[in-house]
Amino acid sequence: MSLHNRISVFRAERGISRRQLADAVGVNNQTIGYLERGDYKPSLELALKIARYFGVAVEMLFSLERFEPIAMTLQRTGEDK
Amino acid sequence: MKPRRKSILSMLDNAVRWTGMPARVADQMSDAPSVDRKNQPRRWSPIWPIAFACILFVLSFIWPSVLLTSLGAVIAGMGASIHVNGPLGKPSLEDDEREAALRKDSLLFCLGLLAALNGLGQPILLIMSQWQNWQTGHGAMVVISALILNATLLGTLPTLYASWSFRRLPKE
Repeated sequence: MSLHNRISVFRAERGISRRQLADAVGVNNQTIGYLERGDYKPSLELALKIARYFGVAVEMLFSLERFEPIAMTLQRTGEDK
Repeated sequence: MKPRRKSILSMLDNAVRWTGMPARVADQMSDAPSVDRKNQPRRWSPIWPIAFACILFVLSFIWPSVLLTSLGAVIAGMGASIHVNGPLGKPSLEDDEREAALRKDSLLFCLGLLAALNGLGQPILLIMSQWQNWQTGHGAMVVISALILNATLLGTLPTLYASWSFRRLPKE
């Protein structure tokens, strides 16, 4: 089963480099790259550390289902308002 | 005016500078190293020592000699140096969880393959030694070549596995 994540989106949004995130959660910066690309599934501990670093719930970053595109989320939020 | 002759020490200094190692070490020790050359995937280089060690092993059946065995030691050394510079070359204490898992998988793959090869190869060697009436010296050379092949595989197979496990990451 594949594990989807939005690490690169959160990282880009906050202007954080791979190395900064890697140093903060105590892994190699290549590991962050492989995580973002979906080549590596993180341990629960690492997933929680990354979520804590961004200050969000772990489900916001990782999901077993594909995340919906940001454009659709924004559109839905606009319609709700 | 006649140019002054260089001392042996300055010539040695120049020779070391010529290799490019001092500049590379200075770059790696700096706060912002340009490229992390060490512990990069080695996708092709481990294949050479494995191929040479296999050829040497086969040659030892027909032409057992001390010269070939010495060459084998050099090949095993080549494999060890590739391992040190490969993705598994750094101390395991520095591994993060992905690297530790990769190291474990690579070693399991290597040891599994070695166990299968040795389990299959030993009876074959035993049958061949009886069939071809090998003398003690001949048998010893074949065994040493097999040991060198084992050492080379042990040094290079994990590096090869780890190097092919992950695709290269694009630069950020």
